Amino acid sequence: MKLAAKYNRVTLIASIIVFLFTGVIYYSVIHYILTGQLDKDLAIEEDEIAAYVKTYGKLPLAGSFKEQKVSYHLIDPNHDFERRYFYNDYFNESEQRIEPGRSLIRTIDVKGKLYSVTVTKSRLEAEDLVRIIFLITLSVTILLLITLLLINRFILNNIWKPFYGILLQMKAFNLADKNDIRIEPTKIDEFAELNAAVATMSLRVKQDYRELKSFTDNASHEMMTPLAVINSKLDTLIQTETFSDSQGELIEDIYIAVGKLSRLNQSLLMLAKIENNLIGDQETINLDELISQKTRQFQELLQSQNLNLKTELAIKKINMNKHLADMLVNNLLSNAIRHNYKGGEIFIQLNDSQLTISNTGSAAALVVNKVFERFYKNAASEGMGLGLAISNQICNLYHFKLNYTYQDTKHTFRVSF
Amino acid sequence: MKILLIEDESSLRESIITYFTDEGNICETAVDYRSAIEKINIYSYDCILLDLTLPGGDGMEILRAIKKINKKDGVLIISARHSLDDKLDGLNLGADDYLVKPFHLSELKARVAAIVRRKSYDGNNIINFNDIYINTQAMSVKIGENILALTRKEYDLLVYFIANHSKVITKSAIAEHLWGDEIDLSDHFDFIYAHIKNLRKKLVEAGCRDYIKSMYGVGYKFENV
Repeated sequence: MKLAAKYNRVTLIASIIVFLFTGVIYYSVIHYILTGQLDKDLAIEEDEIAAYVKTYGKLPLAGSFKEQKVSYHLIDPNHDFERRYFYNDYFNESEQRIEPGRSLIRTIDVKGKLYSVTVTKSRLEAEDLVRIIFLITLSVTILLLITLLLINRFILNNIWKPFYGILLQMKAFNLADKNDIRIEPTKIDEFAELNAAVATMSLRVKQDYRELKSFTDNASHEMMTPLAVINSKLDTLIQTETFSDSQGELIEDIYIAVGKLSRLNQSLLMLAKIENNLIGDQETINLDELISQKTRQFQELLQSQNLNLKTELAIKKINMNKHLADMLVNNLLSNAIRHNYKGGEIFIQLNDSQLTISNTGSAAALVVNKVFERFYKNAASEGMGLGLAISNQICNLYHFKLNYTYQDTKHTFRVSF
Repeated sequence: MKILLIEDESSLRESIITYFTDEGNICETAVDYRSAIEKINIYSYDCILLDLTLPGGDGMEILRAIKKINKKDGVLIISARHSLDDKLDGLNLGADDYLVKPFHLSELKARVAAIVRRKSYDGNNIINFNDIYINTQAMSVKIGENILALTRKEYDLLVYFIANHSKVITKSAIAEHLWGDEIDLSDHFDFIYAHIKNLRKKLVEAGCRDYIKSMYGVGYKFENV
């Protein structure tokens, strides 16, 4: 939910509650005041009737005029009662209709006879007044709410503009990029502070990154040098004397381990490099030619495993870093060879939209969602489990899609351009 | 041939010198930037082996210095920096080759031999070992007068062997030389054996002596018998 929407919702609900509440109070107060006024009028009328009775010893004429109606009833003297006000509906003769009214009823003694006197006044005017006041209040309220919404929409969007600006820049922020985050000046303190914080943060991150990068460079160098020493010492060692078979095997194992270690180191560096987008220099590469060249390079290996290689290559040009293209094809193809059995098959298909390499191999599928993770490998694999992770990173870098499927005992890796 | 090794890591220096110093090779060393610059200015070498990270300065600066004084010495960069930029920079600056650490000494020697051969003034395209004559320009091999038909890999293998004759070469060094180091071939060494067997057979059939000696577990040795 957007901040503006959330804010709108909250203000809307709060204003509606407040307006409803005040509306109720407002209505009751006005109603109370108007009723008080009516009651006062009724009392004046009552006083007039009483004065008339006192003066003339008889009741004034009953009747109805304008908004007022007076009526008398002879009652049993034993049923005397207190005067009281009440609401009722009465028949307004001048308007010829039933109207809501407010009445005062009391008893009055006229020469020993007890009469009840009812004075009724129309409430219609008061009701109309209340209604008009209510309508005006309602329309003002609605107008106010609409204004509030509009203000929120336009002003808020405007006010938040610097925020979206900096957000856009943060999204586009790339460590490897040379240019820093540009700050657009804003008059709002909070955003100015945010901008400043983001700018310092990006600078610091870049600084840390540079240090880390030089650290990895140095670390690789520091690790490669001892490896080079081990390798060269082994090369020197094997020149010295003839070794027994078991010594020879030991030395070979050391060679293999050193080779693995240096390849591992290089792979990790390469992964870091691709992830940080530190590979530049794209060029147009004839993928079909590259694949043919690679299959020639692996020819002896294919023959020694008795692998049957079938290719279907359409001409495909692609914009990539040459080294990475080489590495991608190399990894996929060497995997297809390595994880195959003697006399197995490899099928490479290249068309304009995708490159498919499928091979026979172990009878079980690889774990689809783990296959591109670093150091994932099945028990039989002697590799390091980085080849596919690197291939996947290369594909991500160029927005290709690399996926794996297993069908009819064939493992298939597909790069969709 | 005369070689200058510019390398600060002493044990690596020793191994390289030991490997190179025989059969009349002269191998001099420089351990830092200053002494390297001094030697370059005074002497000429067939090949300079240059490490990029040195105490006192960047190896690239040494390369620039060599090119600035118009020295024709061959330059082979040996560096632990695998970064492509360094490789390209080095080659653009006029280095003849770039070898990433760790490397096999046999690979280093083969590369140096190739650089020296290319740089030699008399246009020496012939590699000779006893009765084997290899013309590197035409990529043809003769045993005495017999022309030997070799595949590309067998040819590379023979050149590699001769560059490292009398040395034990490991199977992994051979595999990396022939197929590159991008693929880990350590579980497929047996097919190297097939190549060596073929080469040996062709050489012997052409009337050549059997120079290739198998060192069990370790590798192979090409030597005069």
